[in-house]
Amino acid sequence: MNFPPAAGTFRISRRNRLTGFALVTLLSFIVTMLAGREGIPGVFSNILFFPVILACYWYPRQGIFLSLGIAALFGAGTVLVTPPGSPGVPTLLFQMAFLVLLGGVISLLSSKLSRSEQQLHTLIEFLPDATFAVDREGKVIAWNRAMEEMTGIRKEEILNQGNYAYSIPFYGTRRPVLIDCILHDDPEIRARYAAVMTDGDRLSSEQFFPHFRGGKGMHVWISAKALIDADGTVTGAIESLRDITDKVMTETALATTGSRLNTIAGIIRHDLSMKLAVLYGQLSMGVMKFDDPSVISFIGDLKGSAESIQRLVEISRAFRDIGTVAPEWIPVQNAANEAAERTDLGGVAFRSWAERLIIFADPHLATAFFHIFENAKRVSAGADRMVVTYQITGDGCVIRVEDNGTGYPDPVKKALFTQAKENCGSGLYLTHEILTITGMAIRETGVPGKGVRFEITVPPEGYRVV
Amino acid sequence: MMEQEARANGGRSYRIQTGWSVPEKSGEVPVECPVVRELASAEFPLADAVWREYHETTGNPRTDRIIAVISEGTLVSLARCRRHPDGLEVDGIFTPEQYRKKGYAGLAVGALVEACHHDVLYMHAVRHLTGFYAKYGFGPIPENELPPTIRERYVWAAGNMEGAKVQPMRRNAGWQAGMFRNCGNLG
Repeated sequence: MNFPPAAGTFRISRRNRLTGFALVTLLSFIVTMLAGREGIPGVFSNILFFPVILACYWYPRQGIFLSLGIAALFGAGTVLVTPPGSPGVPTLLFQMAFLVLLGGVISLLSSKLSRSEQQLHTLIEFLPDATFAVDREGKVIAWNRAMEEMTGIRKEEILNQGNYAYSIPFYGTRRPVLIDCILHDDPEIRARYAAVMTDGDRLSSEQFFPHFRGGKGMHVWISAKALIDADGTVTGAIESLRDITDKVMTETALATTGSRLNTIAGIIRHDLSMKLAVLYGQLSMGVMKFDDPSVISFIGDLKGSAESIQRLVEISRAFRDIGTVAPEWIPVQNAANEAAERTDLGGVAFRSWAERLIIFADPHLATAFFHIFENAKRVSAGADRMVVTYQITGDGCVIRVEDNGTGYPDPVKKALFTQAKENCGSGLYLTHEILTITGMAIRETGVPGKGVRFEITVPPEGYRVV
Repeated sequence: MMEQEARANGGRSYRIQTGWSVPEKSGEVPVECPVVRELASAEFPLADAVWREYHETTGNPRTDRIIAVISEGTLVSLARCRRHPDGLEVDGIFTPEQYRKKGYAGLAVGALVEACHHDVLYMHAVRHLTGFYAKYGFGPIPENELPPTIRERYVWAAGNMEGAKVQPMRRNAGWQAGMFRNCGNLG
């Protein structure tokens, strides 16, 4: 398999190499012999370094043999042409040995360089993302197979091309693209992209190319980064392009579906709330109309059921919103206090000891606490206090909400965070969903008869004490 | 809500603007009840200033949690829980002379114990106060049961804790009697 040459190199055909090598060798040999004949070998013997270096750089595998040949020629010629009284055999042997040694070292380095280049180009070639690279002057030095498939341009056609040749398959004209933002920090180039994100020394953006995919268009995620040598100097840049059309289409379809479902759910919620308002009104009238205690008690039960339905409507509204806004760092104390204010805790004293704790959570964290408090309250007969604390552990942080009421009986605990059996579960299921968005977990570990204890486990990277 | 502004006052007492108030009951004279809460990192210098009279103790936000009792906007009592590599130590329990005999230290210790009750807590108690700390679940232990880094603090006593007038104590983790006593609408 043939790969393009590495950055900074230029192509010379095999025949030209042979010719060049032969000429340099011949000239160097003639100069050396003439100098030897005149009895002034000195620095002129070093001229033979040039053919040795060229031979070993261009032909690393045969370099050592070519060096041996050049050294032998040099030795034989010197013996023939050197006048009597010139440097003796030991000096000559040392010069020959030095030529061979030089050839060996350059062959070794050249082999390693060549192997390293080969590996680099193999890596680029087999990257699944379309990838190309340019040198400092903007000439294309790599163009992988995925790039050929995406653009229809073969690497042989574009390698060593400059003057923004790589932009033609995408824009139909020569113009700077994202990779040029790396080489030339020009705001005008950035302005050509809707949004350029910077992640360290990497730039990325998204573009839509309408003429790709047979005219149907292609959404492409583009990422560009500088190529830097061992001294930290920018020697070029590399750009990858990923076809994300399927992902974008799926997201769009999901968003559309979600929007429609939300609209339908919103209409149902609204109608349900209206009917509930009417029902409340009629039940209130009923309380005034009847004075039979059993009827009033019955109406009270009906109002309780209506309140449960209203609560479920509210929960479904919260479900609509979770995960739609990016998570953020939230002070736990604020979220817990906000939730406590929304909860009718009756005579239960509420205290939260999380003043300095912030966690990375969905913005509906207060809603999660609200449903924890609401559910705890339902099984907290006799409780007089509810406390929020946190504990730093080896695995992160544990936030606990606990009271001193009756707590949950063991059989109920398993189903607490699953979705909705009748009249239970929905709120805590919502809590579970809110918390798991950012990798948190929740469980109930209270001792039956001694109180409720909800434990929220926060991963190490998800909390800070500020 | 409670912390909006904090400033030193005269170098001895410290006022904190809390925004906290006791709800008035009709026909009753409002009864002031202290606020008990954990200090934010930015408020640690206020605690340091109060502790200046107490062995010049200073708080470190990286390792410490400080509970403060605030009465009429003045910081009147403190308690600290410090995280060592091998355990948690309660210390820095201090009420300036002019605010003593009002139960503020009990509020601070009770709150601290409640905030940290899932951890085992250790302390070096002044001997005549062991009974006070026992109300919050602390019990006396031999010195060698203290975690090494906490024991190091009194290494100068060379094992003679009695001579140093201190008693090592431990409180096991858990929700026990004697925790924070409620006082109306505490923050």
